[in-house]
Amino acid sequence: MSKSYLDLDQTHCAIGHPKTAFWQWMLTVDHKRIGLMYAAVIFTFFFVAVATAFAMRLELFAPGAQFMDGDTFNQAFTLHGVIMIFLFIIPGVPAVFGNIVMPLMIGAKDVSFPRLNWFTFWLYITGALVALSSLWSGEGFADTGWTFYAPYSLTTNTNVITTLVAAFILGMASILTGLNFLVTIHRLRAPGMDFFKMPLFVWGIYATAWIQLLATPVIGITLVLAILEKYFGIGIFDPSKGGDPVLFEHLFWIYSHPAVYLMILPAFGIMSEIIPTFSRREVFGYRTIALSSASIAGIGYLVWGHHLYTSGMADTAKVIFSFLTFFVAIPTGIKFYDWVFTMYKGKIILTTPMLWALGTIITFTIGGLTGVTIAMVGVDIHLQDTYYTVAHFHYAMLGGVVFLLFAGLHYWFPLMFGRMYNEGHAKFAFYLNFIGFNVLWFPMFIAGYYGMPRRYFDYLPEFEIYHQISFVGAVIFITGLITMFYVLIRAIKNGEKVGPNHWNATTLEWHLPTSPPPLENHTKVPYVDFMPYEYHHGQPVVKFDYETMKRID
Amino acid sequence: MLDGFVGASAATFAADVDNAFWINFWVSIVLGLSVLIPMFYFVWKYRESNVKDEEIENFTHHTGLEITWTLVPTVMLMVLFWFGYDSMRVLRTMPAADQSITIQVEGSKWKWRYEYPANANGVVHKLGGAFIKPKYDENGKLIEKGTMAKSALYVPVNTNIILEMTAPVDDVIHAFFVPAFRMKEDVVPGRVTKQWFNATTVGEYDVECAEYCGTDHSYMYSRIVVLPKAEYDAWFNSNDDTPKGNYDKSGSALLQQHGCKSCHATLSDAVFFGPTLKTRVLTKEQVLDVINHGQDTLGYAMGAMPAGLVTGKDAQEIAAYVAAGMKGEQPASFAACSSCHGEDGKGQYGTSPSLVDYDVDLLRNVLKHGKKGSMGNMPKFPYITDEDVSAIAEHLKSL
Repeated sequence: MSKSYLDLDQTHCAIGHPKTAFWQWMLTVDHKRIGLMYAAVIFTFFFVAVATAFAMRLELFAPGAQFMDGDTFNQAFTLHGVIMIFLFIIPGVPAVFGNIVMPLMIGAKDVSFPRLNWFTFWLYITGALVALSSLWSGEGFADTGWTFYAPYSLTTNTNVITTLVAAFILGMASILTGLNFLVTIHRLRAPGMDFFKMPLFVWGIYATAWIQLLATPVIGITLVLAILEKYFGIGIFDPSKGGDPVLFEHLFWIYSHPAVYLMILPAFGIMSEIIPTFSRREVFGYRTIALSSASIAGIGYLVWGHHLYTSGMADTAKVIFSFLTFFVAIPTGIKFYDWVFTMYKGKIILTTPMLWALGTIITFTIGGLTGVTIAMVGVDIHLQDTYYTVAHFHYAMLGGVVFLLFAGLHYWFPLMFGRMYNEGHAKFAFYLNFIGFNVLWFPMFIAGYYGMPRRYFDYLPEFEIYHQISFVGAVIFITGLITMFYVLIRAIKNGEKVGPNHWNATTLEWHLPTSPPPLENHTKVPYVDFMPYEYHHGQPVVKFDYETMKRID
Repeated sequence: MLDGFVGASAATFAADVDNAFWINFWVSIVLGLSVLIPMFYFVWKYRESNVKDEEIENFTHHTGLEITWTLVPTVMLMVLFWFGYDSMRVLRTMPAADQSITIQVEGSKWKWRYEYPANANGVVHKLGGAFIKPKYDENGKLIEKGTMAKSALYVPVNTNIILEMTAPVDDVIHAFFVPAFRMKEDVVPGRVTKQWFNATTVGEYDVECAEYCGTDHSYMYSRIVVLPKAEYDAWFNSNDDTPKGNYDKSGSALLQQHGCKSCHATLSDAVFFGPTLKTRVLTKEQVLDVINHGQDTLGYAMGAMPAGLVTGKDAQEIAAYVAAGMKGEQPASFAACSSCHGEDGKGQYGTSPSLVDYDVDLLRNVLKHGKKGSMGNMPKFPYITDEDVSAIAEHLKSL
């Protein structure tokens, strides 16, 4: 029987030739194994952050303090934000599927720098451990919110510096991942595959990698400045030392705004893979989708000021940032029309990944359009820092990035494990998640417009009903999440065995000799003289002989 | 109050903001449906059971469609940009100062204070203070709603009010948010930011802090009370504290008003941010901290206390003795302290700090100068009057 990358000895290691499966995993440089390890760690953190969020929802079920005081609540939403942003959603899609799928899609044996990839994974683990260590050391976990606004972050007694150091290390890991992927995409594409023959997921990863490489250093510098200020008293952000707190906000968002595109672009890439596969036809507007990813990454750098409409920034600057912000919405909108028209005259197969993708079109449409609301300066002055913004953010990030991450998880699951989950159960989990998600977050739009500010651990009794509906949604949503992961995890061991191209898809990651794939992927490097989504009458056009990787169609 | 939708007429520009919001709402509905209707239609029309493989067509380009779905949304978004800009212009164009009342606003952890221009008698009204938190019984049932009592911002109806806002330089960022008026602006330490409003309806409106500022962020409320002009003018030209009568000047009310209770317990020995005010409790660590580092910020007549007057075992012994409330036999080493603090530790009639209780002099000096100690920083309260300090001291003695 042929060996897969999951079997003993089927890996190259960073150091030496260990004999045990454990050390072969710890030291592996195989992009697929590293991606799986990221997935294991990232989803563990995801559940920690979900649990924290659920604790907050429980506290908010009724006004007044039930089982958490204000300080604990403040630490809870900081922990939730820091884990979700820095440990889960920023590494998220690139670390998991950028690693597992991207090299397969371009016909490469691995990423360009496999050892660096291994090092990056352990750098990420180091950063995560530093972040978590501040939970039990010093004066407790930071209570600043994930935005670390000065001067609060510089004056609070909690362990902010540890968290900043962790964010710095994680940022370094992010930069190195971006660098690795950029070089890989430039240097290791199969012969014949020019940029406009790459699958759209690779375009998403490519645009993201540039943001990782160019924007992350800004947050790194900002965090170092904050550390210098705290320990050496250099007045940069703290007005009592002659600094300027609004400067911190600018520097923070110069990174953190492009960072939301860093999160969404690879996720959009997943959408662009799933929709054509389950419409059984070519994607509509391949070039516009590819180039809109690039233009979102570009324009995304110029709009950070829309987080500062109420910061005391000059009114002229607000108008300029608002104007530019609307231009991010346009390429995003174009992508959605392209996806929808990919279904036109296709054959829509409602598999679990397709359901997740279609669900995301609904939730992200809401998330995106409510983002347009708060791009309008006058309206945002009212809605800034309210639940409206919280709901928008979760519709875009959870209902966009994370839903698509789940879609990818269901889509590439047979590729990763050579087995299939129970589709009936997985679809049931999708519906639970989708309903729970909307019940959880939609009421917050209304509460926000009524004036419910974010980061409040107690609230005026008038808002009780919205928090209670949200709580019901949270219970449904979490039930859905647990069901989904139960279905998937069970299938890793017991799922039905499937062949290399379970979905009848076209891109190169489905043309591997074994299922799951062997150590060094394709038997031979294929020659790419075709577009990524060529279907004819519902069947993939390009067929390979998996021994020689020559076309046989 | 659910000020968001119902209070559209509460301030002149609220309608502009709502108008912009509803235009956005309907444009969003149109744009959203332009994605979702085709999506649902295609999912139904091209469902698996309805399409034979031969019927699938690779429809990959349509210049007309692509131009339409680029240009039409762009135009719609530009319309939204315009309304966003236009509503901001109304919100952010300050009225002429001579046709408005300019009120100074100070946000600090966790209270809002307001200072009016001097009236004809030269009286400067200073209002505001901390929100009184709601009270719950053990089962979490509300016994008493939270309130601002009289410590609100009082303004006349149909008048331009300019708020010049700042925070103490050693405080953090807050935001002055009035949902009913649709207005919000950050209050930044070391800067002055401005916003204005013109309230059109007599009534009371919530003020919320919208920029996260720590422990009591969710209790940093205030109220804007909009009064008929005559009622406002009558108060403004009088010497009364507020239009609703004078403040309660009891020590307990003053502790509440100035926000002392956010950081200090008064009914128990619990330590929140600062020590309890119920009785003076000094820990051994606190006493040692002062012995080792000295103290020169309180402004007592005796001047700075140098660091390291006593060291080693003596310091330990003194710290234990003072922390125990100076009861029992006085250690001989205390002689090093008694030359300034007195043999009874009571501070020699206010020339140096008392070590055993919160006397008027200690309270006044700490409130005036703030305090840096092993527990952290206590901010200054320079605006608290001497009468208020005496009342607080009286009250603390009676606890």
